[in-house]
Amino acid sequence: MSTETSALQQSNLLRRVWAKPYGRISITFILLIALSALFADWIAPFDPNELDTENIFSRPKGKHYFGTDDLGRDLFSRVLHGGQIALIMAFASAAIAMIVGVIWGFIAAQFGGWLDEILMRTVDAFLAIPIILLALILIAALGTDIPILALVIGLILAPATARIARSSVLSELQLDYCNAATTLGTPRLRILFREVMPNTMPVLIARAVICAADTIIIEASLSFVGLGINPPQASWGSLVRTGYEQLFNGYWLVLFPAIFILLAIWSLNSLGDQILDVLDPRSES
Amino acid sequence: MKETVLEVKNLEIDIQRKGSTPLEAVRGVNFSLAKGERLGIVGESGSGKSLTALSIMRLLHSPYEIRGEILFNGQDLSLLKDSEMARVRAQDLGMVYQDPTSSLNPVFTVGEQIIEAIQLAEDVSDKDARDRAIKLLEEVGVTDAKNRIDEYPHQFSGGMRQRVMVAMAISTNPKLLIADEPTTALDVTTQARVIDLLNRIVEERNIAVILITHDLGVASSFCDRLAVMYGGKIIEEGAIGEVIKEPLHPYSKALVNSICTMTMDVSSPISAIGGQPPTLLSIPSGCTFHPRCPVAIQSLCDVKIPNLEIVSQGRKASCHLLEKSR
Repeated sequence: MSTETSALQQSNLLRRVWAKPYGRISITFILLIALSALFADWIAPFDPNELDTENIFSRPKGKHYFGTDDLGRDLFSRVLHGGQIALIMAFASAAIAMIVGVIWGFIAAQFGGWLDEILMRTVDAFLAIPIILLALILIAALGTDIPILALVIGLILAPATARIARSSVLSELQLDYCNAATTLGTPRLRILFREVMPNTMPVLIARAVICAADTIIIEASLSFVGLGINPPQASWGSLVRTGYEQLFNGYWLVLFPAIFILLAIWSLNSLGDQILDVLDPRSES
Repeated sequence: MKETVLEVKNLEIDIQRKGSTPLEAVRGVNFSLAKGERLGIVGESGSGKSLTALSIMRLLHSPYEIRGEILFNGQDLSLLKDSEMARVRAQDLGMVYQDPTSSLNPVFTVGEQIIEAIQLAEDVSDKDARDRAIKLLEEVGVTDAKNRIDEYPHQFSGGMRQRVMVAMAISTNPKLLIADEPTTALDVTTQARVIDLLNRIVEERNIAVILITHDLGVASSFCDRLAVMYGGKIIEEGAIGEVIKEPLHPYSKALVNSICTMTMDVSSPISAIGGQPPTLLSIPSGCTFHPRCPVAIQSLCDVKIPNLEIVSQGRKASCHLLEKSR
């Protein structure tokens, strides 16, 4: 039955997530954040790096919605532009994690044997190291350009993705349609990517969404400890960091970027959960 | 003498185990199949009938180890390269599976799946393949095939899905069709219809069939010849009518006796075969059936393995008692 229902559910996945209250809230937040980041250049009232020395540490009021920092830069504009970096990073890292992880897991599942053993023990080895620690080491070695950062975070998220991809493929390979495809003379890789992959899409989509959330956490954490995006470029993590250093000059310096981080991560994680929930037949009443 | 399509010689299938002796799941199976002939293989769960079928298709990978020859049109399938085997599967072999809910891919329409089957075997344009797919669906009794071809498997009932499977299996005019318990997951009336369908299609196209089943009723209404498997071996083989009317091996006798019929006396209990089928972990010595056999001879049946002897024209059985009575 599960194969049958998953096909039904897949066609209107988004609609069914939207039907759930939490699904609707998270999709709304994600869209708001994404749109505000996309159109930051038009929405933001100031240039994010424009100095307004007459208004240092201004409270959130008047033309400065979120207040200003030690150099009089408009925090609202900086948060929106920081969102751009979060968006680009989330997209790029999730894509890298999915491409690498899916190929990794699919190959392990399809070929099995010693290759599976090697690939999966490598996954275990990666998962044994704390993510942030691994990221710190790699960033320290490779540098902190945005492309490198995206690549590193993507690669760090790939092993867990590989494990998810492998298990979802294995459960599909059990089903007769894969054997049936073989008896029709379909080549193995074609079965894997054309027949099996569409059936694992829902799980993979949920994983991609959660990868995006993880990317934002990792990027913010790295920036917070000074190994992520470098000032003066605004990212949510570096905003929280500079704000933290000047906490006694203005609570808003930490509060607003932190709210954005919180909202983005919560809504992405919640969306991922809702997708998995919709796919799980047991959650149906 | 009719042309032989398939010849299986000394097929043995072991299941390899880490740090332990392999399990012998199939132990020396021999049979052949003429063009257009229909062989039924019956047996209990674990008797090796499905493994035999899967090994012909070369669908068994490790931990299964296969020995022996599987000659298809005189060509040993086990020696072919993967790509060559894929071509043979695409063009000359067809297979129908037990569970119609899982044997079709849920994310593609039935049309796409049949069309793919056709195009894997032959170089056909999309439009021609689609026309052929519609004809095939009509042939297997899907009404309104023109519209239903664009529907997904979940929009079909179990019996209809099995018809689609049959359509896919015969789409390339195979020479051999293997049906692995094609009716087990269907209700009785649908069962009869699917068997009728197979009967008609196989007749028209002159396809040789191996029907794996544990239902003697299904086998008797479809097959020409019957092979009874027990504990990884064929213990009796012969024309279907003869085997059912006059079984030679004590196991086949017991099987035939346990069939329910409409004319049975309801007050008398249905006869069952006592004991448990052998597990692969401990295959009995001598004749595999001797622990459950009502007529087993001590210090013969439990020691010596009986051979599958030719009893009469086209009739084989492996039992010490038969050898003695001759």
